[in-house]
Amino acid sequence: MAIIPFEARVRQENGIAVIDLNGEINSAADDALNAAYDQAADLSSRAVLLNFKGVDYINSSGIALIVGLMAQARKSGRRLMATGLSDHYKQIFQITRLADFMTLLPDEVSARDQVKIQA
Amino acid sequence: MQRVGDAVKDLGFEPAKVEQLKTAVSEAAMNAIEHGNDFRSELPVLVEVRASDSVLSVCITDQGGGAAIPESETPDLEAKLEGAQSPRGWGLFLIEHMVDKMNIMRDQAHHTVELILYRGGDNHGNHPI
Repeated sequence: MAIIPFEARVRQENGIAVIDLNGEINSAADDALNAAYDQAADLSSRAVLLNFKGVDYINSSGIALIVGLMAQARKSGRRLMATGLSDHYKQIFQITRLADFMTLLPDEVSARDQVKIQA
Repeated sequence: MQRVGDAVKDLGFEPAKVEQLKTAVSEAAMNAIEHGNDFRSELPVLVEVRASDSVLSVCITDQGGGAAIPESETPDLEAKLEGAQSPRGWGLFLIEHMVDKMNIMRDQAHHTVELILYRGGDNHGNHPI
């Protein structure tokens, strides 16, 4: 099975910074993921949406990186949301309780609506 | 982990259960490489898959006998979000929650993590005798 290198691209949509994630989220994704989050935080003080649609593998090191982002978001009062998770990783986010602290949404439109409700 | 998934694909498990097993195998293998074999590429990690009518067993063995593998603890996510703990520490927790049972064995030269899935029954340890 070919290893898909990790990539993160940042864009802004309706006041939300979206990070499109691709490939495998493991310890090697550390620098790129955190750089993307820093860029996203500059774009939006309110909310960051992690788009996992292009992610096919997250290991425990990847979970730790995501927890690190959640801690950064909490510290700065920024809302962190997620979309595009497969059923398998939704289950992992529930088992680890990441889903208790990060809103899992079916799509970007839902994220925009969530942020509007909160405003 | 893909090879384990391929090996068990005809054993009647739901696809979601196979994905859980693959995650557990991946985590156990990473632990074997990192903690058991100290990232030494010349040391093998052995993966054995065995199935009976009632049980699937996957054993992951490293060459790092001696020190015991620490017992799994539930990670304190709130402490991690507050910055009071490292964000790491999810591996053993994930393994335990992906399979029906996890056994850890060691001798002087090896650690073995055995992952168990029960075939048939209700996946809560109640299976036909």
